[in-house]
Amino acid sequence: MTEEKKAGQVERGGISRRSFLRDAGLAAAVPAVAPIARAGEAPAPRTPAAPAGPAASEDSCDGPTMVQLTVNSGQYRCEVQPHWSLRQLLRDEIGLTSPKDWCGGLGACGSCTVILNGRPVLSCLTLACECHGAAVETAEGIANTKHPVIQAYIDYNAFQCGYCTPGFVCTAKALLDRNQNPTEADVRDALGGNLCRCATYQQHPPAVIAAAAELRRDRSRS
Amino acid sequence: MKTWKRFAHIDVGSVEQAADLLRRGNAALIAGGTDLLGGMRFEILPDYPELIVNLKTIPGLDYIREEGGGLRIGALTRLEDIARSATVRSRWTALADAAHRTATPHIREMGTIGGNICQLNRCWYFRIPDNRFHCVRKGGKTCYAMAGDNRYHSIFGALKSCLAVNPSDTAPALVALGASIRTNRRLVEAEKFWDMRVPGSTVLEPGEIVTAIEIPAPPAGAKSAFLKFAIRKSIDFPIVNCAVMVAGGEARVCLNAVHNRPWRATASEDVVRGKAIDEALADAAGAAAVAKALALPGDRNKWKIQIARTLVKRALLASA
Repeated sequence: MTEEKKAGQVERGGISRRSFLRDAGLAAAVPAVAPIARAGEAPAPRTPAAPAGPAASEDSCDGPTMVQLTVNSGQYRCEVQPHWSLRQLLRDEIGLTSPKDWCGGLGACGSCTVILNGRPVLSCLTLACECHGAAVETAEGIANTKHPVIQAYIDYNAFQCGYCTPGFVCTAKALLDRNQNPTEADVRDALGGNLCRCATYQQHPPAVIAAAAELRRDRSRS
Repeated sequence: MKTWKRFAHIDVGSVEQAADLLRRGNAALIAGGTDLLGGMRFEILPDYPELIVNLKTIPGLDYIREEGGGLRIGALTRLEDIARSATVRSRWTALADAAHRTATPHIREMGTIGGNICQLNRCWYFRIPDNRFHCVRKGGKTCYAMAGDNRYHSIFGALKSCLAVNPSDTAPALVALGASIRTNRRLVEAEKFWDMRVPGSTVLEPGEIVTAIEIPAPPAGAKSAFLKFAIRKSIDFPIVNCAVMVAGGEARVCLNAVHNRPWRATASEDVVRGKAIDEALADAAGAAAVAKALALPGDRNKWKIQIARTLVKRALLASA
């Protein structure tokens, strides 16, 4: 359960290597990220910039913009640059390091997968400034809620080095959110965009199917 | 990870506003962003957009509706929603299958049908990072694939000196199903929608934006199918794909990734016209589809001819 502790530290704002470096002033810029106390408050719609003349591309939308979004269970208000990816916002500003980079931002590996408004998406190809009002779930959040998919991945050894695992877990969780009883074919299909260089592929379908069974048991108990 | 160079970004509330911004200068439209942002990150084009115009904030462009027996799909509809739609699958099967075989689940959750049909062509010289080959599609004078490694390139010759192939999976399905593309200015038959532009892949004019796909009701008893050849089941672009619709002795057959634009195989359609499709007839139709195909000098892409022939045959048998 070390995964949970690590994730919990980030969420609670405890000392992690990353926050230490940041607090110690080693990061050049002060991150403009403010967790918002009142969770559940709907963000005000951001007013689209006025369709003015050429100025529209010079001032009203050239600089940083504020986005308010829910990440796991926390609300954040962040100042983002137009050319920042969601992955950059999550890792470098909010401090959630589970969205990885493997393919270099081509959209070819699935390692940076997060769940955005219920859809598993590639955070490396999502603009942070387009996430105003969005609900984002990362592997940290999935671990914090003690989702059965985490234990299933451990039980079925569905990883070796673990680098691609957060992406797999997010994709699998998004599948389980819409399909309570996936077949092996469903799992293979849903995980088709996640690559694993350790080649643990055959362990994933039984792990996700076991997590689905556990979720169904949870539901029947409650 | 390579980060993007700076650009400005604007959310727009209407197609007119987006069109207006497009006409003013160096701006690019973003819907799902999977083609645009990858290309920008690696600076494949000589021009880098100064402004990204976000279409996703325009209301009312994300829908799948049956209208008067036909199908209408909003340009911002995600490919995954099309793949999962029972409506699309029921009567426009080739499109549901094509959407489902596109890229990866993640890219289908992000990518839209409008973006899929407007994506730039595939060619590793055209798409190489940092614009290292200033090819004809970027306004240069040379097609580097002509004398280079062209194993994935056109088997039906160049279009305006460019050998890059159109990689869309949904495009051949739209052609086979007789779809039209609705823009903010006109309605274009799918078959006439693609062209070789610098650097675009469609006949869209500056300030013209796709708003919907319109597909007529299939004829009574119609069946359609989509098949794709790629190395992996997921992720890969097609090496060749093929969509077919068969109804009442008539067939519409369209290949893609074999030419600069989707390639309607009218020769195959002539072979099967008025006849019951069996193995021998489908085989003859496959042969007719590639009768005019020509491997490039060196025969590196010759293998694609056999694949195209076989896909036409199998897709016809699947729709018979």
